[in-house]
Amino acid sequence: MTRSPTTEDIALTARLRAIVGERRVLVRPGELRAYESDGLPGYQSRPSVAVFPGTRDETIAVVRLLAELAIPFVPRGAGTGLSGGSLADGVVLLGLHRLSRIMSIDPDNARAVVEPGVVNATLTRAASAYGLHYAPDPSSQTACTIGGNVAENAGGPHCLKYGVTLNHVVAVTALLPGGEVVTLGNADGEQDGYDLLGAFIGSEGCFGIALDVTVSLARDPQAVRTLLADFSSVDDAARAVSGIIATGIVPAALEMMDNAIIQAVEASIYAAGYPADAAAILLIELDGAAAGIDEDAARVAGICRDAGARGVRTAADAAERARLWQGRKKAFGAMGRISPHLVVQDAVVPRTQLPAVLAAIQAIGERHGVNVCNVFHAGDGNLHPNIGYDSSDPVQAQRVHDAMSEIMAACIAAGGTITGEHGVGLDKLPYMDALFSPESLAAMCALREVFDPDRRANPGKVVPVHSCREWTGASPARTVARA
Amino acid sequence: MTHDSTESIAAQVRAARASRTPLRVVGGASWMDAGAPCDATDRIEAGALRGVVEYEPGDLTLTARAGSTLAELQQATAAHGQWLPLDPAGSADATLGATIATASWGPLAAAYGTPRDQVLGCEVVTGTGDVVRAGGRVVKNVAGFDLTRLMVGAWGTLGVITEATVRLRARPEVDETLAIVLGGAESIAHASRWLRTSAFTPLAAELLSPARGAAVGVGSVAAPVLLLRAGGNAPMVRELMRAATSLGDGQPLDSSVWHRLGTSDGAGTTFRVSAAPARIAALWAATASVVEGAGGTAQANLWRGVVRCTIPAAGTRDFMGVLKDMLAAGHPATLVRERGPSWLWEQASSDGALAALAAGVARAFDPDHLLNPGIMGRSTHESGPADGPPHPALQARTT
Repeated sequence: MTRSPTTEDIALTARLRAIVGERRVLVRPGELRAYESDGLPGYQSRPSVAVFPGTRDETIAVVRLLAELAIPFVPRGAGTGLSGGSLADGVVLLGLHRLSRIMSIDPDNARAVVEPGVVNATLTRAASAYGLHYAPDPSSQTACTIGGNVAENAGGPHCLKYGVTLNHVVAVTALLPGGEVVTLGNADGEQDGYDLLGAFIGSEGCFGIALDVTVSLARDPQAVRTLLADFSSVDDAARAVSGIIATGIVPAALEMMDNAIIQAVEASIYAAGYPADAAAILLIELDGAAAGIDEDAARVAGICRDAGARGVRTAADAAERARLWQGRKKAFGAMGRISPHLVVQDAVVPRTQLPAVLAAIQAIGERHGVNVCNVFHAGDGNLHPNIGYDSSDPVQAQRVHDAMSEIMAACIAAGGTITGEHGVGLDKLPYMDALFSPESLAAMCALREVFDPDRRANPGKVVPVHSCREWTGASPARTVARA
Repeated sequence: MTHDSTESIAAQVRAARASRTPLRVVGGASWMDAGAPCDATDRIEAGALRGVVEYEPGDLTLTARAGSTLAELQQATAAHGQWLPLDPAGSADATLGATIATASWGPLAAAYGTPRDQVLGCEVVTGTGDVVRAGGRVVKNVAGFDLTRLMVGAWGTLGVITEATVRLRARPEVDETLAIVLGGAESIAHASRWLRTSAFTPLAAELLSPARGAAVGVGSVAAPVLLLRAGGNAPMVRELMRAATSLGDGQPLDSSVWHRLGTSDGAGTTFRVSAAPARIAALWAATASVVEGAGGTAQANLWRGVVRCTIPAAGTRDFMGVLKDMLAAGHPATLVRERGPSWLWEQASSDGALAALAAGVARAFDPDHLLNPGIMGRSTHESGPADGPPHPALQARTT
């Protein structure tokens, strides 16, 4: 895609700089390097230009300029995504992290209005003054932005009880790729008409940019119990998960980590005191009213013991609870100590299928000679099998790729889906055909055309281009030359 | 035409497309006749598509064909101590497909949300006759664009729903209901604040106007009554009910009251008025007595901030005037229509860029306007603003 910059490209840079200022437009390869990848190593592509508006008006002006010049762009928040979704291959990268104002917090209605670049954990910190928090809590919450969360329909451990981003967004002021500004959803009552807000959430930057997001905040629970159950077999732990779900008790979170992950965490600065010899642990959190919570906790602990847990311990205080959670949330970071690259999948399977699917994943890993580790949202059936490897070794890289393809096929065959919270991006595009019929993919393409008739927002992501009937034979959107 | 397979529904849509014949989409026909204008003479009937396709209790999900009734699904799941916590008003013979298409919900939405939160995936036949599968059968799914959310509340205009997968919940161990009479506006405001700040989440907190209370056999003739439903383990329910005594004296009721409430709408126009949830006491004050004065009844979901009104047809225009005054006074609110005369539906429900977007979505799924044409309100298939003044409630939305 590389070609020499034309006078048109140079004019683009000048016009972008006129909107956002000299320093907020990057064109030199060295400066753009930081924007070559997202949170998922293994994919790299350099944008031609990166532009960082600082206000809502600047953002609108930038998008309208790109529309006028028919230039494709890729919106980006903090770049913590795990699907290659914010990679801009030879097009304009539109960074939104400077739009970071919390515009208002309304404690009576338990709502906040924020700009897209507000960091997830920053919102919760601001809401904590009112006894409120923002419930979706991706593991990257100390860095990821609300705009990125909306784009990916992000989840997190506590989504088991509280729901994903979709369930917490009341309204979005959206800037469509063509430059129009529309309000999706309704902060003054119910939503009537088509659920365009629901369609926008999780559209991975293909339907436009959220200029502001109205979210609902959750009340801080009166009581919390965090349990750590220690198992000598993965299968026992998986059966305990099914047992807990079947009782009807909905834990705030129900997470599993296998031995390889435990070892990685315990060897890192995030050591949480997990039992190093356990085959698997479950991190189980119950929250809500104080009344009745100990009865639920006792019942959950009993189910774990019946399933074969060697021990179940309860965090004694907030400090121990934070430590147990930090190990879980930093698990991917801890894996970075072991190997230079990591692939992470995000399949979801029906919860009764967990024992069989985990066994199948283990067998696939062994067959391909790769070490598959598991740290995941067990209560939702949302797996995150991950494999550490060295991408500079082509033989190893091929083995990892083959194993992951088989794992995805096994999850689909078990009635599952290819992504529960990370998004399709680039990484899962090859699996879309296995999951959806050509008619279903064509319907998705048709919906995308409504929001972005020129196909300029995050081109080439989410839905394989070959599946779009109307698109076949159409010329690709133009690219911009790299400097 | 009635159908017993998705393929046969697709064949009728394709034939209708060839002959440009608009179709009225019908499920159980128990509540689709809401008075909404629909310019179709032929019917496409999905009500015979019945039965559970897949139900593994341990997964807490269920897939059923769209013509299955809610009663049928409740029966199938009750055997495993589970339920689909959707309790829209009307007959239990309402179909799953129509419930999703109309995004209908009832008092349990306070704890469990609406169909938007509960539908995990669906199969539809679009206006091109294509069979499209949206979402999936698992509880968390972001694969591709979210077509499922679009189908919920689209009144069949984007596709005939033929099958759906829903999230189930375990039935609570203990499930109790209290009736608490709330005299005066201050006690309603207090109850609303209590709900928002207490440590508990009730299954339902439904306020009934005096006439509505009388229709279900609870409360006093003079004052509104709060039906508070608590579910969970025994110590939690006991504590919740004890805490609720701060709202007033409670009278325990059998849970059959919820069935009576759902089947006591009466004749006339039914619509919902909503605002930001903490405004519910003010919204109730502005609406309930007017509705009762016109011979109607009102109920409110105190948690979600929604007042649901049923009013004799003759009083509907006057009520819309009240709504207009409220908006003029700077109190934004939203009107959602359930049943009513055609003039109520004919007003545009959105305008400008949003209407253009909605029209584009309709065209993308149903390019020939074959499915329930007109039923979503006038603006659905037209990109320009409708004639006449915009819908009063939605006017407020844009301010």
